[in-house]
Amino acid sequence: MRQPAFFFPGFVCFLCLLLSAACSRPPSPLAELPVVPLSEDAETVPFPPGQHGALFVSTMPGDIATLNPLISEDASSGAAISRFLEGLTTLDPETGEIIPRLARSWDISPDGLQFTFHLRRGLVWSDGHPFTSADVVFTWRDAFYTKQLDPATGQPVIDPSTGRPRLRFPSRPAFFQMIEGEEVQVEALDEHTVRFTLPQVYAPFLLFGGGQDILPRHILERHVADGTLLDAWSINTAIHRPRELVGMGAFLLESYRPGERVVFRRNPNYWRRDSEGQRLPYIERIITRIVGDSNASNVAFAQGLTDAEGLQPDNITWISRAAATHDFTIHELGPSNSTSFVWFNLNPGSSPEGRPFVAPHKMRWFSDVRFRQAVSYAVNRQGVVDGVFAGRATALHGYVTPKNRNWHNPDVRRFDYDPARARALLAEAGFVMRGNRLHDAQGNPVEFSLMTNNNNNLRTEMATVFAENMAALGIRVELQFIDFNTIIRRTSESFNYEAALLGLAGGAPDPYASKDILMSDGRLHFWNPQQASPATEWEARIDELMRLIGRELDNDKRRAAFFEVQEIMAEQQPLIFLVTPNEYVGLRNRWQNVQPTPLGGVLWNFDALWARPN
Amino acid sequence: MFAFILRRLLTLIPMLLGVTFLVFVLMSLAPGDFLTPIKMQRDVPAELIAELEREFGLDRPWYVQYGYWLGNVLQLNLGYSWSFKVPVTDLIGSRLFATFLLSLTSLLFAWCIAIPLGVLAAIYKDSIFDRVSSFLAYAALSIPEFFLALLAVWFAAVTGLFPIGGATSIEHDFLSAGGRIADRLYHLVLPTIVLGIGGIAGLMRIMRANFLDAIRSDYVQTARAKGVPEGWVMFKHVLRNAINPLVSAFGFSFSSLLSGALIVEIVMNYPGLGTLIYHSLLREDQFVVLAAIMLSCTMLVLGNLLADICLAWSDPRIRLESRD
Repeated sequence: MRQPAFFFPGFVCFLCLLLSAACSRPPSPLAELPVVPLSEDAETVPFPPGQHGALFVSTMPGDIATLNPLISEDASSGAAISRFLEGLTTLDPETGEIIPRLARSWDISPDGLQFTFHLRRGLVWSDGHPFTSADVVFTWRDAFYTKQLDPATGQPVIDPSTGRPRLRFPSRPAFFQMIEGEEVQVEALDEHTVRFTLPQVYAPFLLFGGGQDILPRHILERHVADGTLLDAWSINTAIHRPRELVGMGAFLLESYRPGERVVFRRNPNYWRRDSEGQRLPYIERIITRIVGDSNASNVAFAQGLTDAEGLQPDNITWISRAAATHDFTIHELGPSNSTSFVWFNLNPGSSPEGRPFVAPHKMRWFSDVRFRQAVSYAVNRQGVVDGVFAGRATALHGYVTPKNRNWHNPDVRRFDYDPARARALLAEAGFVMRGNRLHDAQGNPVEFSLMTNNNNNLRTEMATVFAENMAALGIRVELQFIDFNTIIRRTSESFNYEAALLGLAGGAPDPYASKDILMSDGRLHFWNPQQASPATEWEARIDELMRLIGRELDNDKRRAAFFEVQEIMAEQQPLIFLVTPNEYVGLRNRWQNVQPTPLGGVLWNFDALWARPN
Repeated sequence: MFAFILRRLLTLIPMLLGVTFLVFVLMSLAPGDFLTPIKMQRDVPAELIAELEREFGLDRPWYVQYGYWLGNVLQLNLGYSWSFKVPVTDLIGSRLFATFLLSLTSLLFAWCIAIPLGVLAAIYKDSIFDRVSSFLAYAALSIPEFFLALLAVWFAAVTGLFPIGGATSIEHDFLSAGGRIADRLYHLVLPTIVLGIGGIAGLMRIMRANFLDAIRSDYVQTARAKGVPEGWVMFKHVLRNAINPLVSAFGFSFSSLLSGALIVEIVMNYPGLGTLIYHSLLREDQFVVLAAIMLSCTMLVLGNLLADICLAWSDPRIRLESRD
């Protein structure tokens, strides 16, 4: 008779078998990549020579979703992709100017329509295959612009709503690399020269087009041929065939364990060297652990488990206590490029049932510039900085944060905390105090609801301070902390709201990237999106200036125009800016060649960082 | 027997239909969809959003989407993950093992502790051992899993005795085969305890009650009367009869093998199916969520089926007949 007790030893054996099956995976054989000698055209970096071989450990909040730059949406995937792919140009982390990367130099035709890039000679992909203009042409013409063909007729399928041919691989970069919906003509003049002909003058092309990651033709062309380009380079590739992830970046993916870690190895064929002719990068391996969220990631750094970490302002105090024990330094980089702002719904339309989005008497207040200015004067930004961010933030007065030195206009009208002026402006606009409540000229008490997303405690705290500041003016603010998706739906589809507090992160390096926010027909023109024609004169002026910024090649004129945009935004206060958190990066002291810049951060010269091998 | 199994498997079909229908309705009622987050980004052209909505079918009413999905499932195609762009089956397959392993070890842990404790508590009924063990069992039962998980993370962080999260250490790939198994086990210790401890109390109380019932029965009296040694009576007669409800409980545990670890995985950052499902739900990556829910429903039915079969195997008095 069998006893149930026999069940358990069998169970244990089964478990051990499972374990050994899981653990017997050999490390991937990246070591045998063919190494092609450095070419004469390799870039020499201006840092003291270092030593190869160190291991760099970091964390990322959240798993990667893909390694395909065409479909990557989240920050973790983007960070992983930027390790192994590069573009023709990039931004100088000190001056903010556009500097060469894979292209050695470029010429722009006098009419501003033709950009000719001269690629560095003798460069090879990480697998040793030569890097040529064919790869650049492939990236645009095949990966981005391939059309969807009708299987019956063989003709491109036309999208009835736009009247343009449908793309076979619709992706964010593909649409991004079109100018007003028109394609850029790309041709290889010779093996190392490639010419882009634009359909119309497009000022940010050198940055947006030049900064586009170049894809390896010899690896991806079969995916274009069989129509699987968007499915290529998925996490399955990363798990089973990491060698297919070929790039021009300093590192290559060596292995990936879902939900656990991504391991990068140095690219033996990288194209930069130090002054002694040693090939970069110095770091042998990067091990990036995937942790649940940015708090967990901060904790790991504070315990000395990782080498570098972007630290949240509210975590600095306790993390800095561990600085001596774990031998790290917290670099303060000043204001970040994240913004936070309050805006009022200025959409004059009505719902399908004929109900106006905003009650008419409230719309009268919101659309009065004096009301918005009074609100702005009444916001105690320094109070938010001190109370919510413990002093680790900067009061924000304009659309561009001070971090973006090249485009930040420091002289816009400032609305420093001044309740007396706020009251004077409200009185001028016909508002009167009755008891301790503010009323408009028609006798309506002034009150509105303000929504922000409930999963961001910094925002809910800012909203609370804002409501208290308004209460001091006699305005009652009803706070609504709700789900982010609901906010998006209410601000962009149903328009059923009065005011909202949200933020934008990752300030764009070129002002034209803000056109969807600033131009009146823009999708993200928060206060009144997608207008058929500008509702106000100042919005019309901003539209005009933004169009100029799009087609003007002269940098000084572009800057002057964008400065004027910021002045109008500050004067009119359609977005009432609050604060920008400061940026902090922690780095272990063993790393050499560290030269933090406000624009580039601490790790911008990652390929030149080195430490004694551990 | 065969008819019984077939009948049980057939009940899966209406159940899966109902559950997936419910999930589809709920997800379509929830505000926003998979594309909502990218609508807030400044460099996403409206054309791309329209294109993606068309591609994912999000521009259609939910019942049309459900119909398409059902059609694909009938052709054994569970669909694509929108965020990962890989087939859902691949995605779940890549995470399945870690969760399976954790559930198995915690099951083993719970059983290995609960059965002897329950038996001892019954044999030494009303002794100090019985009182203490039931007190501890209730204490363990009353601590919520997520809180215990937080405590475990805190414990690991403060003492440094155990790793904080993960299933393997960063040196894993450079270790010998034995080292890798040890590394894996080392990372399993805390999640196993947290996940297993809640189950101990229930199992132990069931074991104790059944054991007491069996001890009082006539055949035990008979066995004792004819001079069978006490140990033999306990293990040959009492335990055999007391174990039946636990076999049923095993079936339920089996059903939670792949889905029960969700909270523990998330809090302790264990890279299994739970974390994947949770993040997919947050991102409204609906085919992943649907597949995961179908998986747990199937496991529930299979687990109960398995329990019934085990019961028939362990107790010759039970026969699995179709009740026609």
